[in-house]
Amino acid sequence: MYAFDYARPASLAEAIEAMKDEDAKALAGGQTLIPTLKQRLASPTTLVDLNGIAEIKGICLKDGMVAIGAGTRHAEVADSADVQRLIPALAHLAAHIGDPQVRNRGTLGGSLANNDPSACYPAAVLGLGATVHTSAGRAIAADDYFQGMFETALGEGELITSVDFPVPEKAAYMKFVQPASRFALTGVFVAKFLGAVRVAVTGASESGVFRWPEAEKALSANFSAGALDGVALGADGMIGDLHGTPEYRAHLAGVMARRAVTAAG
Amino acid sequence: MSRIHVTTSVNGDEVDFLCEPDETLLDALRNRLGLTGSKEGCGTGDCGACSVTLDGRLVCSCLVLAAEAEGREIATIEGMAEGEALHPLQKKFIEHAALQCGVCTPGILVATKALLEKNPDPSETEVRYWLAGNLCRCTGYDKIIRAVMDAAAELRRA
Amino acid sequence: MDAPDHAPPVRDGVHVPRRHDSAEKHVAGRAIYADDAPEPPGLLHGAFGLATIAHGRITALDLDPVRAAPGVVAVLSADDVPGENDTGPVARDEVFLAASEAAQSGDVHFHGQPLFLVAAESREAARRAARLAQVSYAEEPAVLSIAQAMEAGSRFGTPYRMARPDAEGRDAPQAIEGAPMRLSGRVEIGGQEHFYLEGQVAMALPGEDGDLHILSSNQHPSECQLIVAHLLGLSAHAVTVEVRRMGGGFGGKETQGNQTAAAAALIAHCTGRPAKLRLDRDDDIVTTGKRHDFVIDWEAGFDATGRIHGICVTQMARCGWSLDLSNAICDRAMFHADNCYYLPAVEIVSHRLRTNTVSNTAFRGFGGPQGMVGIERAMDEIAFALGLDPLAVRRANFYDPPDAGGGRSTTPYHMEVEDCVIAEIVDDLAARTGYEARRGEIRAANASSPVIKRGIALTPVKFGISFTTSFLNQAGALVHIYRDGSVMLNHGGTEMGQGLFIKVAQVAASELGLDLDRVKITATRTDKVPNTSATAASSGSDMNGMAVRDACAKLKARLRGFAARHWKVAEAEVEFLANRVRVGRKTIAWEALIEAAYLARVSLSATGFYATPKIHWDRDAARGRPFYYFAYGAAVTEAAIDTLTGESRILRVDILHDVGRSLNPAVDLGQIEGGFVQGTGWLTSEELWWDDTGRLRTHAPSTYKIPACSDRPRVLNMALWEKGMNRELTIRRSKAVGEPPLMLAISALHALSDAVAAAGDYRRYPGLEAPATPERILAAVERVRDG
Repeated sequence: MYAFDYARPASLAEAIEAMKDEDAKALAGGQTLIPTLKQRLASPTTLVDLNGIAEIKGICLKDGMVAIGAGTRHAEVADSADVQRLIPALAHLAAHIGDPQVRNRGTLGGSLANNDPSACYPAAVLGLGATVHTSAGRAIAADDYFQGMFETALGEGELITSVDFPVPEKAAYMKFVQPASRFALTGVFVAKFLGAVRVAVTGASESGVFRWPEAEKALSANFSAGALDGVALGADGMIGDLHGTPEYRAHLAGVMARRAVTAAG
Repeated sequence: MSRIHVTTSVNGDEVDFLCEPDETLLDALRNRLGLTGSKEGCGTGDCGACSVTLDGRLVCSCLVLAAEAEGREIATIEGMAEGEALHPLQKKFIEHAALQCGVCTPGILVATKALLEKNPDPSETEVRYWLAGNLCRCTGYDKIIRAVMDAAAELRRA
Repeated sequence: MDAPDHAPPVRDGVHVPRRHDSAEKHVAGRAIYADDAPEPPGLLHGAFGLATIAHGRITALDLDPVRAAPGVVAVLSADDVPGENDTGPVARDEVFLAASEAAQSGDVHFHGQPLFLVAAESREAARRAARLAQVSYAEEPAVLSIAQAMEAGSRFGTPYRMARPDAEGRDAPQAIEGAPMRLSGRVEIGGQEHFYLEGQVAMALPGEDGDLHILSSNQHPSECQLIVAHLLGLSAHAVTVEVRRMGGGFGGKETQGNQTAAAAALIAHCTGRPAKLRLDRDDDIVTTGKRHDFVIDWEAGFDATGRIHGICVTQMARCGWSLDLSNAICDRAMFHADNCYYLPAVEIVSHRLRTNTVSNTAFRGFGGPQGMVGIERAMDEIAFALGLDPLAVRRANFYDPPDAGGGRSTTPYHMEVEDCVIAEIVDDLAARTGYEARRGEIRAANASSPVIKRGIALTPVKFGISFTTSFLNQAGALVHIYRDGSVMLNHGGTEMGQGLFIKVAQVAASELGLDLDRVKITATRTDKVPNTSATAASSGSDMNGMAVRDACAKLKARLRGFAARHWKVAEAEVEFLANRVRVGRKTIAWEALIEAAYLARVSLSATGFYATPKIHWDRDAARGRPFYYFAYGAAVTEAAIDTLTGESRILRVDILHDVGRSLNPAVDLGQIEGGFVQGTGWLTSEELWWDDTGRLRTHAPSTYKIPACSDRPRVLNMALWEKGMNRELTIRRSKAVGEPPLMLAISALHALSDAVAAAGDYRRYPGLEAPATPERILAAVERVRDG
C-alpha cells in the first residue's frame, strides 16, 4: 500500500467534510478497496472509514419499500427477516456473495459505489429498479446510476447513504460463479412487478450491469422460462477474459435467465 | 502519516498498540502483539488463513485495517483454548486427523467456532459452504468436515 | 538382531494411527513456521524487482529511485553477488539476479524474473521500493506455448527416446501396422500451481566468521546450503540451513525455496544484518515454477478385446526458461507412460521444451501424472471405439500379477514388474462399489435426464518408487540417547504436513522398544545430518525410516554387547522389550540400562545411513531398474455435469490404495484424501492462464481455483488395501504414499468425460482436455451433440 492518513468520522456530516479532500477515499467494508490498495492500484491521501457512522446502517420499511442503509453488511441483509419476507431474492443474493468473511464485512454501499462489472448487488438494484440516495441529497434511479464498468452517477466525494428497493410480486437471482473469486461470471436478476418485468444481467458485459429488454418484453407477455425460447444475447460487447469467452457469457446469461424465472415461480 | 494509537480487546485482554494507518489487523496481531497463529496465506481475503472474529463476526484480518479495531473485540486462535484445556473443536480436529501442514488450521477452527455459535446444529452442506472461504491445500476437507460435525454434536450434548 | 518385522508392543509404535507430531500446536496456533520465528533486532526485509517483459535484454537500468525510497537500506544486483550468480539445482543455467547495474545489462527470460533485490527496514517499504526501478528493455520475440516451442525447435537437449520391441522383434510402428485396429489421438494437459498455504519464506541470521544460519521453508536443505554457499563464495560448512516445518510443499519447495533463501542470505551477507524475505502470494505464483503442462500424441494398434499390440507416444512438455528438474520430471513422465499396462512394442519420445515462462518444477507425481493421463486417454478412447467398458480394456492390458510367468511384465525401460497387484485391487474395488451395475444404472438414468448427465470411471495407478537419479536414493539419521533414557531423533527428511516426522519417530520407538513419548523429533538441520536428498519422490519415510533404523540398530548392538558383558550373559540372552530389556533372567528398565551403559563409557549416539538397494539405470540405453518397487491403487469416481452450463460435480469417490503395511494408517489416509483432491483440482478447476505477452494472469486465489470445502465430493470412501505388503524389505514392509494417490484423480477426468459422452448419446468421443473447466465441458458437450 502507499501511505495514507486514516480518518474515522462519527457522523455523515463529518464524513462529507472529510471527503472534500479530492484525494480522499471512502472505506466501507474494504473487501475490494484494501486488496486494491495492497496492489498499489490506488493512492489516496486519506482513507475515510465509514464504519463508525450509525445513520447509514440498518434496514427499515418505508412507503412499501425496503430501505437499506449503505453501511449495512451483506450478512445483515441476508439475515434480515424483513428482507427475507418481502424480497427473498435479495436476501438470497446477499447470502451468496463471496464467503462468510466477505459477507461479514462487505456493504451494500461499498459494492454499489465500486460497481464491479461482476458484482451481484448491481443486478438486484437494477433488476428491482431501486433508488440510490446519496450524501448530496440526490435520489438516483437505478437506470441512471450504473454508467459502465466501475462507473457510476456519483459525484466527487459523494457517498451513498441508502437504497430503497421496491417489493416485487416475485423475483429471483441466479448466478454462475467464477469459481475462484465467487463473483458472478454471469448473473441474472429477474423481477416481476404488476404489469412489468425487469431483467438485469451482471458479470457479462464490458459496460457493466445492464437490462435485457428482449427478455423483459418476452417475460412481460408470459412470465415463464419457455417465453425466453428464441431470445438470446449476442456476444458483442460481452467480456472475454481468462475466465470465459464472450460467447460463453452470453450463453450463460440465457441459461441463468431461464433458471431465475423458474426459481421465481 | 502519523501513527495511530489503538485500544482494543484481544481474546478478552485489553491491549493497546501504535500502528501505521496502512497496517492491517493481521500484521498488528502478528508483529505487534506476537500472535502468530493467524497466517497470511494470500493477503487478499481469499484463503481464510487469517480468519479472526471481530465483535463475534468472522472476518479476514488481512482485509481489516488495524485502526479499525479501535474499541472492538477480537478473538484469535490463541484464545480458543482455556489455558491448557483445548476447546472441543480443537480436540476433534486432532482426533479426526483433520490437519496436515497446519497453516489453514487456525483459520478453519476460528471460522468453525463462529459458525457453531450462530448455528449449533448445521447440516453438512451448511458446513461445507460456510468453510468455502477457508482454503486447505493438504487435506481433501473430508476429515475437516467429519471433525466439525462430530464437534457440533458433542457441543450440543454439553 | 531382531527380525525385520518384529516390534515390541510399545505405545504408539509403528502401524498405529497416531496423530501428526504437531497436531496440538497446529490447533492452538502455536506451531512456529519460518515466518513466525521471533524477529531479531535490526532485521531487514527483502523484495525482488521483477522483469516486466517475457524475453529480451536490459538496455538501461536506474536503481537510484529504489535507493531513495523511504526505509531502503540496500539495493543489490548481479554486481553484488560475491560467488556464482546462479541458483540452478542441476544445470548452472538459472541466473539469480538477472540485472547488472554496473554493466547496465541483463538477459530477461520470463515475465516476472527477479532482476534485483531490495533490502529495507520493513516488508512494506521493500515491496514499495521494488517497483520504482527504471528499466529499459530491447524486447525479443517470446516463445510461450508448447506449440510455439515445437515450431521453433526450442528445446533442452535432443528429444529423449525409450523403446522396446515386442517378443517377435517388431518395433512399435511395425506392431501398430500389424495390429487388427489402429487409433491415434492427442491430449492436452494443463499445469498446476502448488499453492502451498505458506508461501516461500526464509530468514538468514549472520554469525561469527561470516557464517550464516538460514531458516527456510524448504524441502531440500542440503541443496539450499550448497546453492547459498556457491552464491556467496563460502564453503558449505559456513552455511547452516534449518527447516522445522513447512506449510505445505508438494514439490514446490524442492528447488523453488532456494531463490528466497539465497535472497535473504545475500542481504545478510552484504549488510551484516539479519534478513528475511517472504514473497507475497502474487509474486510467489509469478516467480516460482509449476507442474509442467504437456501435450501428448499417441498412436496405438490393438485387437478386438482392446489389448494393445504396439504404441507410439510423443510427450511434449513445457519446461520454461531454465532446466531446473525438468529432465528427471520428463523422464518420469516416460516411466509412467505405461501406467499399469503391458505395452508389447513401445516407443516413447520426449521433448523438453524451452519457453519464456517461469521454469516448471517438481509437483507431486513429478511428471508421472502427465504420463499416466496419456495412456489412460488411450485406454478410454480405444474402449470407446470398440464399444467396450473402458474397465474391460484396462483389465485386458494389465501387467501380469506376481510370479504369473505370462511374459507380460516387462516395462518399456526393461524393468520387470514383480509386484503387480493391480488386477486384484481393481477386482476388489469394482466388487465393493458395484461398479458394473452402477455403470448400467447411470446410463439408463441419463436417457431420461436431459440436462444433468452422470458419468463413472474406474482408473488404476501404478507408481514407481525411488528417485530415478540413482545417487539421490540415500539418507542419513542421527539418534542420541541421553543419560535419562530420552531419545532425540534427527534425520534428513523435512516435515511439510505429510506426517513424515511422526512416522519416523514411530519407527525409532519401535526399533528401540520405547513408547513414542520418549522420542523427541527435532528440526531438520544441515549441521546435524549432512548431504541429504530432497524430501521428495514419496521417499521420505522409506529412506529416513531405514536410516533411523540403522542408527537404532547400532545403538542396540552396543547396548546388547554392553549388557551381555556387564551382566555376564550371552548376547543372545539380551532381548529388547517394551521400555525394558531382558538380560538373562533379569528384566532391566530402559533408563537403568542407559545409566549403566553411560557409566561404563558406551557411546549413546549413532548416525544411521541408508542407500536403496537393487536400483540402477543406464540412461543412454534407456534400460535398468530405476524403481525399488511400485505402489498401486485404484479409484471409482461418479460425477455429474450440467449440460447447459458445463458445471460439474463429483458425486461419489471410492478409493482402494496399497500402502503395504502402513506405518501410520491415519497419516496414510490423510495423504490419500489430500492427494486425490489435489489431483481433481489439477484436472478439473486449476487453470493457469498466460496472456500473449507472457504474463501469468492467474496469480492469486481470486483467479486460480483450487478445490474448496464446498467442492468436496458428496461421498468419499477411502480404504487401505488390507492385503498390502511390500515384497521388498522396506521399512516395516510399508509403501510410499505421498504421490501415488494424486493420480487416482484421473478417474474424475474420465467420469466427466463419460458424462459428456452421455450428452451425445455415446456416439462421439468427447476428447475432454484437462483441466475440465465448465467452459471446456460445455464445448465438449456441444462437440458430441454436433457429431
